[in-house]
Amino acid sequence: MSSQAPLQQTRSSDRGADPDTRRANALAHLVLNGALVVLFATLFVHAGALPSSMWEPLGSGSFPRLVLAVLIMINLGIMVQEWRHYRSNTAAAPGLVRRWLWRHRLAFGVLALFALYIISVPALGFRLASLFFLVLAQLALGVRRPRSLAIAAVIAVTFSFGLDWLFRDVFIISLPRGPFS
Amino acid sequence: MTEALFAGMDQLFTLSTMATMLLGVVAGVIASAIPGFTITMAIVLTLPLTFTMAPLQGIATMLAVYVGGYSGGLISAALLGIPGTPSSVATTFDAFPMARSGQPGRALALGIWSSFFGALVSAIVLIIAAPPLAMIAVKLGAWEYFSLIIFAMTVVASLVGKSMLKGVMTGLLGLFIATVGADPMMGVARFTFDIDLLANGFPFLVVLIGIFAVSQLLQEVEDAEQTQHGKQLIPANVAFKPLDALRETLAYPINLIRSSLVGVFIGAVPGAGGSIANLLAYDQAKRASKTPEEFGTGTPEGVIASESGNSATSGGGLIPMIALGIPGSAVDAVLMASLMVHGIGIGPRLILDHGDLVYGMFMAMLLAAFMVLVVCLFSMRFFLRVTNVPRSVIVPVVLVCCVVGAFALNNRVTDIYLLLGVGIFGYILSKLDYPLAPLVLGVILGPIAETNLRRALMTDENWTLFFTRPISLTLLILAVVSVAFAIRQRLRQRPSEKTA
Repeated sequence: MSSQAPLQQTRSSDRGADPDTRRANALAHLVLNGALVVLFATLFVHAGALPSSMWEPLGSGSFPRLVLAVLIMINLGIMVQEWRHYRSNTAAAPGLVRRWLWRHRLAFGVLALFALYIISVPALGFRLASLFFLVLAQLALGVRRPRSLAIAAVIAVTFSFGLDWLFRDVFIISLPRGPFS
Repeated sequence: MTEALFAGMDQLFTLSTMATMLLGVVAGVIASAIPGFTITMAIVLTLPLTFTMAPLQGIATMLAVYVGGYSGGLISAALLGIPGTPSSVATTFDAFPMARSGQPGRALALGIWSSFFGALVSAIVLIIAAPPLAMIAVKLGAWEYFSLIIFAMTVVASLVGKSMLKGVMTGLLGLFIATVGADPMMGVARFTFDIDLLANGFPFLVVLIGIFAVSQLLQEVEDAEQTQHGKQLIPANVAFKPLDALRETLAYPINLIRSSLVGVFIGAVPGAGGSIANLLAYDQAKRASKTPEEFGTGTPEGVIASESGNSATSGGGLIPMIALGIPGSAVDAVLMASLMVHGIGIGPRLILDHGDLVYGMFMAMLLAAFMVLVVCLFSMRFFLRVTNVPRSVIVPVVLVCCVVGAFALNNRVTDIYLLLGVGIFGYILSKLDYPLAPLVLGVILGPIAETNLRRALMTDENWTLFFTRPISLTLLILAVVSVAFAIRQRLRQRPSEKTA
């Protein structure tokens, strides 16, 4: 797990870049942690209504409440830290969000395709949904030349129909069938 | 012990198990040779394939991927200067300059032999250390177990990522996510709000796949925009002389053993792992070297230290898992999951109740190390070509495999919806520099922590027992020390960051 850590840091660290990004990053932390504080506080109250037990001093809600209480404190701590960062950096130049979204357009495009794919799996079945997703995602990621397109088609068929066959007939695990199967 | 060892060997040395192990080794080497495709992802994707296998065959196959993965990361590290996995970061320091100076085959062969010896040393230490540690662990009560998990969580949170506060936050978030669904003691539904999607809680494998595969793949796509197209992974001519490299590796026995032991030790610390071990082993080798100025220019000592260090973490990570039931890393967590899928309880009693399985795992580690060596030595040139796969292919294919993995666990469509949600959340967290490792460990350790806390207080309502029982107190002190140590380290780093 930790084997991921340094790579994540280098890839995702927008913080080190420029003051604009630092301020925007701090704002993102404030929004995220603020939302989490509200969510956790609501859940903390909800957990208080969970039934207790006559056999044990701690009921169903005690452990989650303990965790949520510490989480709220930590979220607030992060917000204080980030508020300092936010205050110490100047306001971002106009168009920063637009530039950021444009830079990440491919990731968001793939994410949107992936979301559509997951939603369509029960409706279309694993085979067809995977086939469409694999073709579209490979096109979105830059497959253009005729030879690459042919390879992309083979990969799409192999990892949709082939994977379905492997799980159904070899591992005896039936993937979602859909109305066309 | 001898009986269990032979029973384990009997199950291990079958044609089908050895064949799936061999496939696992090949898959591990190839997967981790591809930049961005981590060992964790390879292991996660292997898991659903092992559901229908016998327990030992399944876990032996995954161990093969694990051991193969640690060796495969060296390929792109040496040839492109891109670590195939974070655990081969230090390998780029010397293997890449060596390859650039016209000796890619030497760099690869040195790495392969060092990886082999590292894995071998770690398997030996595992066999010697795990059983006695498990015997002690059997005597631990609910108080000690709860304190142990607190200690593990603090170590993970303080070691991973830049900010300890964020590490603790994601760890606790993992603990909370684990409370969604049925209460482990009373079966009461918690935080489900009558929503079907949440009725079964968050299966930790779905969290694992979503966090580590989906969010990581989305980051890969960002990088793809900036990646140069058409860059060759394999230089035209790779002179590969394994016997010369063996002699050269053995010419540094102290470096080899020291780096391997560093790897085993770091692997055994929950939350550490290959990514830290290779850097630490490299640093130690540089300090001890007579020619430290040559480090970073293509010295064999650097390659040996990094590769033996990261491979040795594979055995080290299994020590806390087998002896205490605490996964040292995400990979160990998936290995744990594969046993739990087969209904095998993890914890100190594992070695007593399933001795054949545990000794079979030990032997599988050794066998996997030999298989990796043979496979790498004979097929290196082939692997170099296979691994030159563009991201436009890898990302969609692995995303489809993630969906299959999440669905196949329980045959539930709702799990793939959860996968999407967790993946998006993981992506947001990683973009904001929150370490994801503590979150996954929190999800795994949450039910164990809660059950033991409640059991302890059911046995005796006196909560001061957590501080008066010697082992429990020691573990809690260690937790405080690990936090204090991390704070001290960060305070020390601050002035240098400011001047930079």
